[in-house]
Amino acid sequence: MLSRAAILSVQRPMGAMAARAAATAAGSDRPVRPEHPGKVRLGFIPEEWFQFFYNKTGVTGPYTFGVGLITYLCSKEIYVMEHEYYSGLSLAIMAIVAVKKLGPAAAKWADGEIDRIEAEWKQGREDELKTLQESIEAEKKEQWRAEGSLLLMDAKKENVALQLEAAFRERAMNVYNEVKRRLDYQVECRHIERRLNQKHMVDWIVKNVMASITPQQEKETLNKCIADLSALAARSK
Amino acid sequence: MAFGDYPAEYNPKVHGPYDPARYYGKADVPFGQVKLGELGAWFGRRNKTPSAIAGAFSRAWWRWNHKYVQPKRAGIAPFFQLTAAAMTFFYAINYGKMRHHRNYKYH
Repeated sequence: MLSRAAILSVQRPMGAMAARAAATAAGSDRPVRPEHPGKVRLGFIPEEWFQFFYNKTGVTGPYTFGVGLITYLCSKEIYVMEHEYYSGLSLAIMAIVAVKKLGPAAAKWADGEIDRIEAEWKQGREDELKTLQESIEAEKKEQWRAEGSLLLMDAKKENVALQLEAAFRERAMNVYNEVKRRLDYQVECRHIERRLNQKHMVDWIVKNVMASITPQQEKETLNKCIADLSALAARSK
Repeated sequence: MAFGDYPAEYNPKVHGPYDPARYYGKADVPFGQVKLGELGAWFGRRNKTPSAIAGAFSRAWWRWNHKYVQPKRAGIAPFFQLTAAAMTFFYAINYGKMRHHRNYKYH
């Protein structure tokens, strides 16, 4: 288990990632960025503060409370209106006018920008997803092709088997021919030997027979032949 | 728990990604639902160490941030809120000098 993943998992606990995945799957309390901010009144006072008054005092209650509080603070000079107060008042008026005049345009521009940026990021994410999806498809296709190469391998094996068979048969034929040739040679040898023997014996017999014939016998044979010829002549006449 | 660590109660396997605006300890009765008579006991149960107080301020800051600054279509309200809070704060710390500018002797 000395893999890189194991080492990395020690350095950087995978628990958080797993938990994140689980939390996303379960749809639990994972924080989500809201679309709109909390509501405010008068530009900055939270809506909840007004709602806190609403059940007890109705709609005008919080305003009454606010005006009353300011009146109290000013009346008792807890809030002292010194020179900075008027400076702040003029600043506040300028700020309110600026917000009223430029606010809508600025909000439109900012909304457009945030939409554009988010669309860009979303586009990038979707492109990445699409690329990965395509690579998965390509990988599957490659696997399918690899299966095809298994088929090709089978065909090649069959082909090799056929070649082996052909080679085996050729060699078997070769052996047969060689053996037959040697046997034929042996047969031929035997024939020649016998023929020579026969010829030699015939010569020997003939020579011996010729040697055994005497002149007397030759003469008798000749006379006999002549007698036979004359007998034949007399009969044919 | 050292500087920069997550709170001791935070467990990524249970809570998921860390939310700086969230209190991961055991929840007590919300302050808004505490009866007046139980207020003393409620404050008695609070953790009043400096780090816990700093954590409470940090969570409040992030809760405000998530609500008014971080949303997609956030407006100008958080800037005015900050301005108002700063005005109040600096008025309070300068009150000792401000009170010399009072225009009336009797109120």
